Formats: sequence, C-alpha cells, structure tokens
Amino acid sequence: MSAIKVFTKGLYAQNPVFKQALGLCPTLAVTNSVQNGIGMGLAATFVLVGSNVLVSLIRKAVPAKIRIPIYIVIIASFVTVVDLSMAGYFPVLHKALGIFVPLIVVNCIILGRAEAFAGKNSVGLSFLDGLGMGLGFTMALLILGTIRELLGNGSFFGVPVTGASFEPMLIMILPPGAFLTIGFVMAFFKWLENRKASHV
Amino acid sequence: MKDMLKLGGLLLLITVIAATALAAVYKVTKPRILEQKRLVLERALILALPDADKTAIVPVKKDDKVLYYRGYANPDTSKFVGYAFVAYGQGYSSVIETMVGVDSTGKIIGLKVMSQMETPGLGSRIEEVKYGEKTPWFQDQFHNRNAAKLAVDKDGGKIQSITGATISSRALTKSIVAGYKILKKEISRN
Repeated sequence: MSAIKVFTKGLYAQNPVFKQALGLCPTLAVTNSVQNGIGMGLAATFVLVGSNVLVSLIRKAVPAKIRIPIYIVIIASFVTVVDLSMAGYFPVLHKALGIFVPLIVVNCIILGRAEAFAGKNSVGLSFLDGLGMGLGFTMALLILGTIRELLGNGSFFGVPVTGASFEPMLIMILPPGAFLTIGFVMAFFKWLENRKASHV
Repeated sequence: MKDMLKLGGLLLLITVIAATALAAVYKVTKPRILEQKRLVLERALILALPDADKTAIVPVKKDDKVLYYRGYANPDTSKFVGYAFVAYGQGYSSVIETMVGVDSTGKIIGLKVMSQMETPGLGSRIEEVKYGEKTPWFQDQFHNRNAAKLAVDKDGGKIQSITGATISSRALTKSIVAGYKILKKEISRN
C-alpha cells in the first residue's frame, strides 16, 4: 500500500466511525455540539499519532506476550498528557468533555491501530496511519456535531444561525438524537457505496 | 519462571518510564490548572459581589477551609458590602455549585453558577443566555430577593423554573436557601 493510501484510507474508505463502526461511545456522547466534537476528535488524534509512533518505534523489542499491557500503558500516558494540558489551557472544553477525555484510553480505535498497524509497520507509515485515522474520526464527529447542533440548538459552533422563528428539536442534542443521526449518516454512506458498486 | 521475571521486569521498566514522563508533564501543567481554578473563583466572586473591590474580598477560613467571603467596597477593607458563599445542590446529573452574594440583610446581590453538568438543553439552561442578552435570565431572577425565602413557582415561589420537571431549578434554589442558613450560623459563631 502506498504512503498516500495509508494516510487517506482513514478518511473515507476505512473511516473508523462510518465504515469500521469503532469508537462509537465517545462519538455518540460528545457530538451534541461542533466544538465538543472537534475537541474530542483532535484530542483522540493526538493520542493516536503519539501512540502509533511510539508503538512502532519499540515494536521489535516488545515481546508478543505482553504487548497489550505495554500498548495500554503508552496510550494511557498520552491520554493523561492530553487531560492535564486541556485542563490547564482549554478549561472550558475540558469541562464540556468531562469524563470522555480520560475515557480516550479505552477508545478501541487507538488500541486497534496499535495492534493492527503500528505493531507491524515502520514509524513513518504508522504516523500517517494514525494521522489519517485520527482526522477521519474528527471528521465523523464534525459531521455529527454539525447536524445535531444545527437541528437541536439552531446554532453552528455556538453561533445562532437559524433565527428566532426556528424551534430547535431538543431531542437532537439529547442521547436519542445521537443514535438517529449516526443511523442516517451511516445509511447515507452505505447508499453511496452501493450506488458506486452498481455503476461498475 | 525465568520468562515471567523477564516479562514482569520489562513491564516494570516501561511503567517507570511512563510515570517519570507523566510526573514531568504534571509539574509543568499544575500551576496552569491551579491558575484556571483561581480564575473561575475570582470571576464568580466579582459577579456575586458586584459592588465589592476586587482586592477587598476576604475569605473567612476555619482550618484552611473557606467558610465564606466578606466583600468590601474599598481596597482598605472599609465599607462592608456583603457576604459570598458557595451553595451546593444535587441536580439531575451533577452537583450544581453556585457562588452567591448576599448583603447583611440576606438580600441576594449577585450569583454565578460555577460548575454544573446537567442535561444539555434541559437542566443546563440554568446557565442559558438568551439571544441578544448578556446575562443568564434564570439566575437574574434571584437578584434582590431574600435568600432565606426562595422557592420555584411550582412550590409557590417567585422563581420561574426553566423546564417542566424543575429538578435543576429547584436544586439551585434550595441550595441557596440551605447555604444561606449555614452562612448565618457561621457568622453568628464568629
């Protein structure tokens, strides 16, 4: 696989949320606004890139038997770095994301990439893989956050856009709205895929 | 057995390295995190005691724990304007923390919700600022009311609650009444 493909596959073809259906818990929980979605996406991207690079660096020294605990220690360390930095420099975002920042540790996308890619590939490729998957995840959260904030709160990035005559659909920023939105968006991507397949 | 020691040792080494790195990050970010907490408190105090001088809000402590604050209009702590205290109320999904300012008669002169994690779109509207306005309308209702006699509309009071179930509105309202009671007790003790 070419280096460019390693990077771009995370964006669409193997998008962690829409195609692999991984990391759905934070995806559903924090996308009630665009800001929260992007914040979570970028935090996870940082952890993903960092852990992918480090796992790849030490892949030859890690005994297969204890690779999972080692990966978890590495991931947890990066997450703690994100958690502390966010609390110090972006307190509003840190408060809004709450428990979901420390929970990045158990985001299966991150352990998944360490196990499926970084443990077997070079540092450069692992970096690109992590970046692509991270940005794909961020993009997915951005799409869901945009739809939910627009319909549920009548705003985009906290700025009111729909005007006073629009009565926001509260359900969209509550948990049921997350399931509804992701269902429709996934169906849309599946439809695109099927259409493409039938044209060939 | 030998294998076990080798693997265990390697794991120990990795966790020690990780812990050392994290200790360094903690040391760098700690002053920033404390500073952020202090800023939240300072902003809340200014809103709770709007007529007090920023440098003349004095914490009253007992065993290092802040019981309440005394605010003065002048930096030399002359001209007393009021007390400020933190009210804690159990809401639907979080403890609502509010900084409340009262004058010596118990009249509320200002308040600010410092921390809450209520349901977005429902309970968290206790902090909602309506389009075109500058201050949260729900909290504005408390101004100039007697802190000992607060109640939401459903309980026969004057505070208009934000949504039907009234959980967050009631939690905040009741926490102020309870907090004021504690404040009065502490003041009479000193």
